[in-house]
Formats: sequence, C-alpha cells, structure tokens
Amino acid sequence: MLASIPPAYIAPFERAWRNRELIRAVVRREFMSRFRGSFLGPAWAVLAPLLMLLTYTTLFSMTVPQLSAGMSVMDYAGGIFIGLIVFNLFSELAYRAPILLHEHVNFVKRSIFPSETIAWTATIRAFTYAGVAFGVYIAFRLLTAGTLPLTIILTPLLVVPFFLFILGVVWFLMALGAFTRDVAHIMASIVPVMMFATPIFYRLEQIAQMSVSTAWLLRLNIVGDYIEMMRAVALDGDVPNVFGYLIIVIVSYAVFLAGYQFFMRYKSVIVDVI
Amino acid sequence: MSSEPIIRCSGIGKAFQLYAHQNDQLKQILFGLWKKFYKEKWVLHDITFTVGRGERVGIVGRNGAGKTTLLQILCGITMPTKGVFEVNGRIAPILALGSGFDGLLTGRENARIGAAILGLSRKEVDARIEDIAAFADIGPFFEQPMRTYSMGMIARVAFAICAFADANVLIVDEALSVGDEIFQRKCEKYISNFSRKGTILMVSHDLVFLEKLCDRVLWLENGVVREIGEPARIIADYRAAMVAEESQAAGAA
Repeated sequence: MLASIPPAYIAPFERAWRNRELIRAVVRREFMSRFRGSFLGPAWAVLAPLLMLLTYTTLFSMTVPQLSAGMSVMDYAGGIFIGLIVFNLFSELAYRAPILLHEHVNFVKRSIFPSETIAWTATIRAFTYAGVAFGVYIAFRLLTAGTLPLTIILTPLLVVPFFLFILGVVWFLMALGAFTRDVAHIMASIVPVMMFATPIFYRLEQIAQMSVSTAWLLRLNIVGDYIEMMRAVALDGDVPNVFGYLIIVIVSYAVFLAGYQFFMRYKSVIVDVI
Repeated sequence: MSSEPIIRCSGIGKAFQLYAHQNDQLKQILFGLWKKFYKEKWVLHDITFTVGRGERVGIVGRNGAGKTTLLQILCGITMPTKGVFEVNGRIAPILALGSGFDGLLTGRENARIGAAILGLSRKEVDARIEDIAAFADIGPFFEQPMRTYSMGMIARVAFAICAFADANVLIVDEALSVGDEIFQRKCEKYISNFSRKGTILMVSHDLVFLEKLCDRVLWLENGVVREIGEPARIIADYRAAMVAEESQAAGAA
C-alpha cells in the first residue's frame, strides 16, 4: 500500500496534498463554527483590523512620536499596521500552537486522523484573517494616499516563505505543547517581549543609527525581517535586498522541514501522552 | 470466504509510558537518549491472530483487558510498542461515536467533516450525504446544531457516516449501546449485511449478539489472548469465568 516515499524536502507537501479534502473540510468547519451564532459573522474579520488601524492613525495624528522620524502620519500608521498584521499572525499561532493538540484531542485519539494537518488548518485560518486585514490596509492606503506602490505585487513572494516558516514553528510548538503545558505559558511570556524586539513600532534603520550590534541582534528575529520586507514592498515601494531575501527563504524552509520532522518523529508518542 | 488475511497481527505488544510528573514527558523528549523518565505499563502482550476476508470476529474481555487499545492499534491511531500488524483495506472505525463532532455545526456539516476524516473526497461526500441523512433518520434535527442532539442521535449520525464510508474493514468498539431499539437493530442488520462484502472486527459486551453474528471470538484477558475460536465455546467459557469470579468475590466478601 505504501507508494514510493518522497524525498524529505517535499514530504510535507505530499502528505498535505493527500489530505487536502480533509484540510479543506476542517478549515471550513473552523470558519463556520467561528461565525455561527454571531450576528455580524464574517464582518468581524474586517471590523477588528479596521478598528485597530483607525486607533493607531488617530493616536499618531495627535501625538506623532519621535519614532515616526520624518514620515507622514499615514505612512507611519500604515507601517505599524503592516507590522502588526505580520506579527499578530506569528503571535496568534505561537499562543495557539501549544494547545492545538489538546483542543483536537478527540480527533487525535478517537479517529484515524492525520494530526499533522491540524497545523495546516490553523495556519491557513490565521493567514486568511491576515489576508482580510491586508485588504483593509490596501483600502486604507487607496483612500488616504490614493495610490499603492507597484512593488505590492511582490507580496506573495514574501507570504509563501512566511507561511512555511510559521507552519514549521506551529509543528514544533504543537509537539512540545502536547508534552508539557508549560510551553503555552512560556509562549505567553516570550511573545510580548518579542513584540518589542520586533520592528513594529520602529524601523530597523532607526536602531542601526544607535548601535550596530543591537541592530544585528534584532536582525536575527526573522519575523522582523519579514515585517521590514513587507513594508518595503507594500508601503515604501522598494524591492528588498535579494541576498537578504534568499537567506530568509532558506532559513524559513529549513524551519518548515525541521518542524515537520520533529512533529512526525513524536507523532506516535503524542497520541499516548496527550 | 477465502482465507486471505485482511488483518494480521503478530506479536503485538503495547506499553504506555507512565510518567510520575507531567514534566517528565518533556525531559524524556529532551534527554530521552540518555535516561528513561517513565515506567512502562504493558497493556498488551504478544497478541497474534489473523482475520480472513469476510470473517466476522468478535472480541470479548473485561474492562481494562486491552480491547480498545488493540482496536486503536489496528486503526493506526496508536503505534504498537513491539510486533507488527497489517490491515489490507480501508477501515471504518466506529470507536467512540461522535467524539469528533462540533456542537455548533449541524449534523449535515459534521457528517461532511466526519466523512472527510474517513478519506472521502468532496464529490463522494456530495453523492452520499442524503443516504447518510436517511440512514441516521433523525428528521429535521439533521439541520440543527449538534449541541441540541441527544446521545442517541449523535450515535446515529456517527454510525451513518461510517456506514457510507466505502470501507471494507469495519472495526467497532462497543458503540451501539446508546441508540434506541430501532436503531440498534438497524445497525445490527447493517453489520450482518456488511459481512457479506467486508471484514468485521468488533468489541461488544452483548454476548448474545456476538454469538449470533461472529464466526470466531477472541477472548482477551489482561492483555493476552486467552482463547480464540468457536463463538459458542469461547462465550460459554467466558461466561463461566465471569460467574466463577463473581462467586469468588461474593465468597471473599
């Protein structure tokens, strides 16, 4: 029954493709379940980011902080918004991943369920929300600036490796979280700290003026790199450094594969300990 | 009824890892190469048996004898610690009926997901969903959120999904006891019809039903196969052992 085993670097895709119907059904369920019994339903996906964007814009138009350094209020607010979309994507899944298997314990223990697909469905869901938020950003830019940088068409090139990176992180945290509930607590204390170590409210170049070593340290935070690149293509109209981009793609892909291997290695043990 | 084996187990053993502290699980992952942080609890020892195509095999045994664990291994949910097994065919596991359902979604929506879990494509689900609804036979409730269901109704939907999963191996874990008389009879009829084209392995405490339905019965006790063979003989032995134990317990008390 076993077909030829695909090489390790595409194995996760092959598994996901085989379970695509299941992944689709579960993603659908997550959305239906989330909007069922709420009056506004899917409108919440738009309202939440819209509210966030309006708050920041209003706030910064009243008190433009030093951090905005010469940018217009709209640009600064837009920059923060992009940063928050990307970071929230990461943080939401970092919080949720350790408890994912506990949430789906009935699936995992009581039926023939490929538990690695849970990471796909959770990540797809989070990216869908981020996509809606990005749509809000585009509408906001068109309304305030009247135009969008042409480089915005490059966003998919950033979204795809970021998706894989997140997926790898989710697999890793999911497996660890199954073994000890501490992982969820650790994430709850690390993520807020990470938020300030990530260039959301500032830009890396502003740090670079202060101290080179700090900037390099912050560069290690790959989420921050994604935010900077995302801002470059969706706000500033710059094309990111190709060399830097390639490094990030390679690192993301490595995280993706490592996370998958880690999860699959402990998958059979997890069923018994959860 | 050919003798071609559909399920083959040889020397299956299962040990659960017992941890004194939950954090030992993490230590095991991090430092497992150097030290063992758990005690092993063996729940199955050296289980060897085969089930041929079209055979109906029942499993009896007391609570904690390892019946459910054995079924879980065969379904591929949990891995055996030692030994090998193979199952040649598509399995419909009727283990814990309805445990994967989402109370906010309707029976129809849950049925679609349940069918997808069993490996049906969307087209296949579309083609079968009305049959599933008819088999579950819960009327307008099928369109209601599942949190409004009774246990029996949940079991009906869950069984209906498995019934249309196009499986050729049915693995049933004492799941039928929650439905009402009519539905139980429907399930029993389905199971006995199923055995014409497929293979059945079922755990039940309904000894009369097992004796009527099965070709062979496997008696599991404390994780080992105590006896396997003719339903009438094994069930008689099993009953006798139960009675003996009961009177022993009564004598002790």
